[in-house]
Amino acid sequence: MKKLSALKSLTLVIIVLLFLGCNQANKKSDEQVATDTLAKVEQKSIDSLPVTDTTDKKDVVEQKKDLPKVLVYNFHITNRCVSCIAIEKATTKTLNTYFSAELKQGRVKQYILNVDEDKNADIAEKYQAFGSGLYVTRVFKGKETTTDMTGDGFKFAKNKEEKFIEILKNKITEYLK
Amino acid sequence: MKKPVIITFLLLLSVGVFSQKSNDTIISNNPQNLKLKVYYFHITNRCNTCFSIEKYVRQTIDNNFASQLELGIVDLYVLNCELPENRDLVKKYEAYGATLAITSFVSGKEDKSEDLTGWAFKKVHEPDIFISELKSKIDESLK
Repeated sequence: MKKLSALKSLTLVIIVLLFLGCNQANKKSDEQVATDTLAKVEQKSIDSLPVTDTTDKKDVVEQKKDLPKVLVYNFHITNRCVSCIAIEKATTKTLNTYFSAELKQGRVKQYILNVDEDKNADIAEKYQAFGSGLYVTRVFKGKETTTDMTGDGFKFAKNKEEKFIEILKNKITEYLK
Repeated sequence: MKKPVIITFLLLLSVGVFSQKSNDTIISNNPQNLKLKVYYFHITNRCNTCFSIEKYVRQTIDNNFASQLELGIVDLYVLNCELPENRDLVKKYEAYGATLAITSFVSGKEDKSEDLTGWAFKKVHEPDIFISELKSKIDESLK
């Protein structure tokens, strides 16, 4: 009788552990999905990297329009922390909320780049981005001006998103003038 | 029969409770001698960069200002900005995430504060430069 009870107890513990294990597995699967999504965004961004897409035709259009362009770079490493992910999320939110027209016009561009990947080595070197980093660059008449906003990102993006969005919005607005 | 279930849940609960435990560092030895407070705030789930900044801040102080720390001329605060007991300081320094700040004191009264967060994240990948520049900033504040 005692043996049977002990066996039942053991079975119950195994079931609980299995249940917990399944939850963990589901969580991992979600993370993978998120990473894949990011990778797609990243690939899309890389396709239009200014370093590679600066064609003569575009330059002509740019000079003709004579309007400043703003490039927003979210650099990250492969194993991302919560703050790094929050910075990217809040940056994307800022751009989609306040600069959707400029995004469509190509006057504002966002690049989400993994600094651990060889293909991003040059651009990471240019910005001295060795880990997570947020840089906003104004391009106008061939001249580039960059503000490093990494500190603001780490200070505010996770726990004070509205403050971060305000700071980034103001910087981009200033750079678009 | 229900014992294993209860024990399992109690174990899980205890893990959750203990993960909220504070690991804050406060070194404040003599408020009468105080000339500079160094604050480093961090969130609960820290990344390598955040740990590195704390490490280099501590190295800067330990290697260059150990006597000032002991005498209470320099204070060091390493605080989790997500803990309720740090709420007032978090608001004051707008330290809602990783934040490095220094505040100087003159005759016991707060004088100037400088937010070094942007600088810290820029220099953290060059430890020697980080430590040397932070040392200069602290030297300047102690003059």
